Amino acid sequence: MSRADRQSVASGIDELPEAAYAAALAGFTEMTVHRLLALLRQHSPAEAFQVASGRLAPREGLIQRVLNDPERGAALRAAWASSAQRRRPESVWQRCADLGLEVTVMGQPGHPPVLTHDALPVPVLFSRGDRSLLDGRRVALVGTRNATASGRHVARTLGAELAQAGVEVVSGLARGIDGAAHQGVFDVLDHGGDGSGAVPSGGGRAGVGRPIAVVASGLDVVYPREHRSLWHRVGAEGLLLSEHPPGAPPVAHHFPLRNRMVAALSEAVVVVESRERGGSLITADLAAERGVPVMAVPGHVASRASLGANGLLRDGATPVLDVGDILIALALDRLPLDRLPSERLMLDRRPRPRADDRVVLQACSGVPRTIGEVARFADRPLLDVAMALARLEQSGWLHQVDGWYEALGSPPP
Amino acid sequence: MLAAICSASVLGVTGQPVTVEVHVGPGLPSFQIVGLPDEACRESRDRVRAAVLSTGLDWPNKRITVNLAPSGLRKGGSGLDLAIAVGVLVADERLDAQRAQAHSIIGELGLDGSLRPLPGVAPMVACRPDRVPVVPLANWAEAAAVCEGEVRCASSLGEVVLALGGGRWPDPPLVDLSERPRQVADLADVRGQPEARAGLEIAAAGGHHLLLVGPPGSGKTMLAQRLVGLLPAHDHATALEVTMVHSAAGVTLPEMGVVRFPTLRAPHHTCSMVSLVGGGSHSLRPGEVSLAHGGVLFLDELGEFSPSVLDALRQPLEEGVIRVSRAHCSATLPARFLLVAATNPCPCGGGPPGSCECDEAARQRYLRRLSGPLLDRFDLRIGVRRTEIDDLLGIGGGESTEVVRQRVDTARARALERSGCLNAALAPADLDRVAPLADEATALLRAELERGRLTGRGLHRVRRVARTIADLGGHDSPLVRAEHVALALQLRVRLRVSARSDAA
Repeated sequence: MSRADRQSVASGIDELPEAAYAAALAGFTEMTVHRLLALLRQHSPAEAFQVASGRLAPREGLIQRVLNDPERGAALRAAWASSAQRRRPESVWQRCADLGLEVTVMGQPGHPPVLTHDALPVPVLFSRGDRSLLDGRRVALVGTRNATASGRHVARTLGAELAQAGVEVVSGLARGIDGAAHQGVFDVLDHGGDGSGAVPSGGGRAGVGRPIAVVASGLDVVYPREHRSLWHRVGAEGLLLSEHPPGAPPVAHHFPLRNRMVAALSEAVVVVESRERGGSLITADLAAERGVPVMAVPGHVASRASLGANGLLRDGATPVLDVGDILIALALDRLPLDRLPSERLMLDRRPRPRADDRVVLQACSGVPRTIGEVARFADRPLLDVAMALARLEQSGWLHQVDGWYEALGSPPP
Repeated sequence: MLAAICSASVLGVTGQPVTVEVHVGPGLPSFQIVGLPDEACRESRDRVRAAVLSTGLDWPNKRITVNLAPSGLRKGGSGLDLAIAVGVLVADERLDAQRAQAHSIIGELGLDGSLRPLPGVAPMVACRPDRVPVVPLANWAEAAAVCEGEVRCASSLGEVVLALGGGRWPDPPLVDLSERPRQVADLADVRGQPEARAGLEIAAAGGHHLLLVGPPGSGKTMLAQRLVGLLPAHDHATALEVTMVHSAAGVTLPEMGVVRFPTLRAPHHTCSMVSLVGGGSHSLRPGEVSLAHGGVLFLDELGEFSPSVLDALRQPLEEGVIRVSRAHCSATLPARFLLVAATNPCPCGGGPPGSCECDEAARQRYLRRLSGPLLDRFDLRIGVRRTEIDDLLGIGGGESTEVVRQRVDTARARALERSGCLNAALAPADLDRVAPLADEATALLRAELERGRLTGRGLHRVRRVARTIADLGGHDSPLVRAEHVALALQLRVRLRVSARSDAA
């Protein structure tokens, strides 16, 4: 941004767009989603900013009641007044401009209708990337952070296959399942344009689904840090969304709000792996409240990482055995044949395992096994099994951590 | 008037010759000890006087000065009591000086004149090969073990005075020196866990340090105890070194005096730096790393040890010795041991992937403690898990220690014959010569390196372990085959805590 631009942005309040005031308000202390919604329902953003800073009397309503509350009102007024000193709309707007963020406000043009008309609307939306993705078909892939290797593999495969079918993949960019789902989308984006034939004709990047990530911190606060590169790629090639202004930390109460945005944005929510309690079950509940179909990938009954997903199935969620189940739910199964990832191994470039290694692979599918257990299952000596495990691990059919082996998918017969 | 009696004290694990000079002369009655005695040594004034009187001898009411030469060396402990008592009697011309000077006299006195055993007799005796040692009865076995000539022993000051006055020395205690079967915890007690058994066998055969990764209650301590039984008996030189260390540290020695078999040392994770590496202000007592010399040092809950303590393990792991230095003295103590450590895969104890309940911050804290150069020293990292019910109730375990030790002995002999050292000590430059790889094995390692799952240093470790696995397999072919490399790779598990840096 040139010096002249910078000056024009900072030169006068009159020139600031309305969204700048909303962006500043979103960063106030004690500013809950409900309060921000109430403010923006009764006032224009610029007016709302004046109200919150104490320079303008609020209209009759919730905000007036809260600000004049005999017990808490004074404290809130003081907190907002000091926030108004620290969070100048000009500087917040400048920061958004520097980061290349798009900011829209509820009730203003450009704000996604699906987020305006939600049960709990998103008052201010910060985004980086291609907003037109919100016009596409969208499916959320969510799950536990503490996932098994095979769960991550399923998420990655589903992410890739949905992208191939042209469906945008919504997720939370968390560790584990979330990250793996978007990694799968990038697998397609990476291989789509190289003419390798992995993606059918008419493929390439056009018509391929892209990642949409909803995060719980400001868009300049990368969390979790190990997803730094994934985060930046989503911003560059997909869409990064947040309702928090730049600099906002990923505090605990942001995550359920993030989950409601994931649920609101999606046409179906697929829980790949979930523990007994966890964020992805909250997302599933929020989706059910909104009438968004909830789907789940079944897991082994003994696997704690699948307790939540299996519970959803028992409660009536649609089972997802392969991507076809999701496409049917979206009524996308009538796509032209060349858009359908009908060949399961289209992206799967792994060499097929040798016939005698299959029993070893089979021993490790469903639940993780140790080398000793595999040796007993396959009834073969340890050296033999070690060799088979090494071959399977190298060809990508197995994953090992702490001495536990997990099968990643099942090979074609 | 003047007497000079040979005795010794201990610094680290070596004896230091000390000459006890006693002068008994005219003047006001007094009793002084000079020559840097420490507290226990200075107190011997009172013990010696009481012991002499209790024995029924007269105490010379003269001016008595005791000098401990060399006077620059700080003398610790109570081992000089007997020498001082004999010196006083010689200087008072009640004992024959020549006969007394032919001996090296070591022992602590009780107030009743009895001779008490004390730590460090073996190194003290060993440092005066030119004299006939006189030691307390209970220390006779260790003294006899390190001394080639005759060793005298006595149970009281009175017996020593009689013998030095021309009488007979008391008979040494009856010690059964015949070969006895070795008492070890049997490997047959371990149910199931084939990979852990294989790990123990390989560790014993190649001298590879071993990390056991598994939840509490998976039998990690039990496995470490079984590893000691797989190691061969000490050769003569090592047995002497170990005996010196154990004697200096005051650890109870076997009845026959020499430590012939490897021992297990398992310090608790709260142990201090000094207790682990050795030290102390005066005598530089050997620490756990030295006590484990020639045997196994087992560190349970590796992540709970303080980082500085773990850091101190690096020198002994690299050089087989530990150098302990203090302002006024320093010592080099032997510390060549097989390191076995155990850790949980994460704070909650872990279990199969997906069953862990730890929050991310706790796991990161664990990661920071475990990561670093120490993890890199383990050639073998083996996952152990709770034994399954079938195994617990099944009839009979696997092979017994006896059977496995024979394989271990053969493999060790093979390695020693080939390169003069155990496989874990092979230099990277020698690997191509002594552990050439079959083509398929090279391909396997190349693929691991290309996928970034193996570092250069890890590669050497895997090749050394693969060499040991091949030696154990009984193949006389010099080539290391692919399945040996594969097993070496599988016995070097990737840790969940460090999964982020995937290379091992």
